[in-house]
Amino acid sequence: MTKCLSRPPRLLGVALTCALTAGLAACNEDTFDVESQIGPNPVLPAPQQYLFPPMKLASVVGWKEGEKPSVPQGLKVEALATGLEHPRSLYVLPNGDILVVESESPGIEPIRRPKNLVMNFIESMVTGGGGSKKSNRITLLRDANGDGKPDTHTIFLDHLNSPFGVALVGSDLYVANTDAIMRYTYNTGDTTITGPGTQLTPLPGGPIDHHWTKSLVASPDGKLLYVGVGSNSNITENGMQAEKNRAAIWEVERATGRWRTFADGLRNPNGLSFEPQSGALWAVVNERDELGPNLVPDYMTSVKDGGFYGWPYSYYGQHVDPRVQPPLPDLVAKAIAPDYALSSHVAPLGLAFYTAEALPAQYKGGAFVGEHGSWDRQRFNGYKVVFVPFRD
Amino acid sequence: MDVEHPRSTASILGHPVHPLLVPFPIVCFIGTLLTDLAYWGTADIMWSNFSSWLLSAGVIVGWFAGIAGLIDFAGDRRVRAQRPAWPHAIGNVVALILATINVFVHTHDAWTSVVPWGLTLSVAVVLILLVTGWLGGSLVYRHGVGVKS
Repeated sequence: MTKCLSRPPRLLGVALTCALTAGLAACNEDTFDVESQIGPNPVLPAPQQYLFPPMKLASVVGWKEGEKPSVPQGLKVEALATGLEHPRSLYVLPNGDILVVESESPGIEPIRRPKNLVMNFIESMVTGGGGSKKSNRITLLRDANGDGKPDTHTIFLDHLNSPFGVALVGSDLYVANTDAIMRYTYNTGDTTITGPGTQLTPLPGGPIDHHWTKSLVASPDGKLLYVGVGSNSNITENGMQAEKNRAAIWEVERATGRWRTFADGLRNPNGLSFEPQSGALWAVVNERDELGPNLVPDYMTSVKDGGFYGWPYSYYGQHVDPRVQPPLPDLVAKAIAPDYALSSHVAPLGLAFYTAEALPAQYKGGAFVGEHGSWDRQRFNGYKVVFVPFRD
Repeated sequence: MDVEHPRSTASILGHPVHPLLVPFPIVCFIGTLLTDLAYWGTADIMWSNFSSWLLSAGVIVGWFAGIAGLIDFAGDRRVRAQRPAWPHAIGNVVALILATINVFVHTHDAWTSVVPWGLTLSVAVVLILLVTGWLGGSLVYRHGVGVKS
């Protein structure tokens, strides 16, 4: 309690919170062991709802000259390119060229209640480089001589609609815009694509488009594409009708564009990747907010055909979310608990299984997860790349 | 007939400001109760959005009305001497504090923005206003507060 009251910026909210809610979880955030929420069986505290949820905004500072992220022994980190416009995801082409997807939120979420006005203001403070006209494009980087400094830096594809996922099958390059999968013709060595794309399958974009990033991966045989379609809200506050076909992974037939829901109940699935040993589809998923600083842990999981993973009705199997009305207990009973928790509010956006030889041997076969980090707790969590070893 | 009435301090050209402002929050808070009930009954998110707007607007104008009221209350000893003055003032401050807390409860997402605590607070605010509104009427129509002497 005293700890809470010593935080001046949120004095009123937190003091009221402590006075009015039974538990003092917000005040105990400092003592909660974040490590206990990493792994297959995370500790899940009781849900807490706050009058003013705990948050801490990260001010955007940028890297100083020569400043770098720290890395474990045996690894080295260098900036490959700078001056990018809000880079959100990467794709490596077979010839080693690197595609950087620079993308921005479609920004079409309507103001539906006063809270949206406040949230928009808060988010504008924590988003770097917002409002750039030059984003929504893909930049190509080529480092032909392998010195870690790209000698080609071109605009590969421009004027896209909030793109995120990229997948190449043969000479067909697929880009997942927020509202459609587009197909372009790519020939090995191309540094720019000028031909117009054709639409393979429309995806749920507007209206609202709360979680707008559409992750994309092709099946190993190249016949199917898998697309992550995030929910249209935190927890159904835009109405259930806005969630049609969302919070799901779609399976799209590449030849025809016909699609079906492969799995659902996945609030915001990203980083779709096939695990090289088992051949299973994996995803990192951003779980729901505003149940406390240590709920709900984001996770990575293998995704089963027809599987239901809880959202919105429950989390981690059968933990029912009180905010969803009407509840569906029959569906909750079927909810699959995910494989591996990554800790709460770390916001994983990227997932890559490491199969190459360049890094030290212990990384081979494991997964790297890029964590965006978020502001809905008082101590930062995420804002890093983590490694999850895999065995058998 | 010449009677000395208790004077309204917060007034413009002899018009007391407090009674100009109070209908707005009262209507907003009654509206919030109705839309909260509608959400409770239907789980249609539209109703809870209506509640949020009504509550926020009511609280903002309500605090201005409250400030005008407190200026009247503090500005003339004869206002404070009227029997309904104290319960009217205290009751309305309590109602405003509850409504302000309710604004934050209504920022929760979906069902728990209303059920159970949002709706409970909306009911409590309207019940308090029934009493304090009656007392406010008495202050003007029976005790002549702010009435031209």
